[in-house]
Amino acid sequence: MINRYRASAGIMLAPAVTLIGIFILLPMLLTVWLSFQDWSTQTPFSNAAFIGFDNFREIFGASSVGRDFKGALINTSIYTALSVILILPLSVAFGLMVHQHDVGGGTALRTVLFSTYMVPMIAVALVWSKLYSPGEGPLNQMLGLIGVGPQPFLSSPRSALISIVLLNVWQQVGYFTVLAIAGLTQISGSLYEAAKLDGANRFEQFRFITLPLLRRTLLFSAVIAIINAVQVFEPVALITQGGPVGSTNVLTYHIRRVGIERAQGGLGSAMAVMLMLSLIVVVCALFAFANRKDQE
Amino acid sequence: MSAGSSSRLPRRRPAGRKALLATLMLLVAVASAFPLVWMVLSSLKTPAESMQVPPVWIPHTPSLDAYGKVSGVVNVGRSMWNSLVIASITTAGILITSMMAGYAFAKYHFPGRSLLFSVLIATMFLPPIVTLIPLYRLVGSIGLNASLAGIIVPNLANAFGIFLMRQFIASVPDDLIDAARMDGASELLILFKIVAPSVAPAIAALALFAFVYHWNSYLWPLTVLQGNADAYPIVISLSRLLSYNRGAVNTGLVMAGATLAVLPPLILFVLLQRFFVDSIVGSAIKG
Repeated sequence: MINRYRASAGIMLAPAVTLIGIFILLPMLLTVWLSFQDWSTQTPFSNAAFIGFDNFREIFGASSVGRDFKGALINTSIYTALSVILILPLSVAFGLMVHQHDVGGGTALRTVLFSTYMVPMIAVALVWSKLYSPGEGPLNQMLGLIGVGPQPFLSSPRSALISIVLLNVWQQVGYFTVLAIAGLTQISGSLYEAAKLDGANRFEQFRFITLPLLRRTLLFSAVIAIINAVQVFEPVALITQGGPVGSTNVLTYHIRRVGIERAQGGLGSAMAVMLMLSLIVVVCALFAFANRKDQE
Repeated sequence: MSAGSSSRLPRRRPAGRKALLATLMLLVAVASAFPLVWMVLSSLKTPAESMQVPPVWIPHTPSLDAYGKVSGVVNVGRSMWNSLVIASITTAGILITSMMAGYAFAKYHFPGRSLLFSVLIATMFLPPIVTLIPLYRLVGSIGLNASLAGIIVPNLANAFGIFLMRQFIASVPDDLIDAARMDGASELLILFKIVAPSVAPAIAALALFAFVYHWNSYLWPLTVLQGNADAYPIVISLSRLLSYNRGAVNTGLVMAGATLAVLPPLILFVLLQRFFVDSIVGSAIKG
């Protein structure tokens, strides 16, 4: 009996494991291997020549390759930090609104917020590039109504990256609101009743019940938000092409440009490895921080 | 709950707070919907209207001309068909591979199960850019570059689907499966005839998610197709409209294109949003 089901397990797992093995795990290992090679993406893997840490030396060096990579790394870090800082509090605030008004209005708000998550990035890019237009763009028109002068948004190096962050927050916040609602529904109502009897006000209930019990949800949301943020590609590729003056040159865009368009496969892979390592460090730090809080 | 407490302590404050909350919710909804509403309205404007400063918010003489003009710039029919092929086949593949693997992880005991599961789940958190360069070469070396197959084949299985299916299949009673085995049903038959119907909502959720994700995806098709415009999905075809994006004259055209790209996933979502929410919640807290 048992043996028969072991064989079945093999059959059931074969398609998924084979596909993920060939098209995700193997390329991941190849990325690490290629990061130590001198290799052009135009040539077969067998053309790769081992060069040790030279790729890494170059991407962290003083040459233009190094400057561009470090710029992209910094832009991605800023982009990621801003995205998480904006998305998490907004998702909790919106989640509370929907949760407290769970009938009618709440469900409608959830639908509206989440619908933006279904919009393809090309449409988001097309629409927002018009919304952000300096002269006739609706955003500057509306700012004008409340007495704020026209903003350059995407055309100034100082505001281009934050403009892309805002576009991204608009698109993604609904997804995280659904996660926040899921977390909120798991908190027992009796806790709030007890707190009310003890005389806790709304803010105290939020601070001492909602927030601590939402911590696991927030940790999960933060990890997903970070992973989503480092993948930002379309708005940069479609609207700004990394400019003005490199201010929106983020890692995904830069790695694709180096590794695919310029065919510098070894250099691009070294950059991808650095991205993966940074991500592991940040996520581990986040978990360590959350665990320490758990023990307190 | 709030009704009970306000009947005991009749005060005006809760009513005021309720009105404030309702207003706030309305504001958030309006702000969130604004870009999409503006997109649809602008797609219906005449070129003259879209040029006016200050802008005309609601077109006086709505027309569908802009939609016709999009077809002059991009091959809408062909691209929509490509997107449909990519999203449908990929979704079907993901459903089959995820159900099979999810069933194995939920209902079989075999050595190395948790290790294999952990390795697969780890790939869920791997940004696609990390594997993009070798994958591009790999797909090229098996002759799939610049084709629809090159977009589809690498995406026929993913960890999220396996994870979601395992979560839901685990809650199917073992007795049900054992009974079918007693009757001599094969494992595949059990999976598709007995397990699948009892997790139908999760399957619907995964199907919708996969379809929308692959309808919308941009980076991989752009990379693998290398300018083979015949195989472009709609989201890549429409990027040509961005070069028409200078000057207000073409605002209507651009917005009509954006509306076309948005409609299929958005219609799916509005019809079936419960399933989307279920799958997110299922991936976040179930199990």
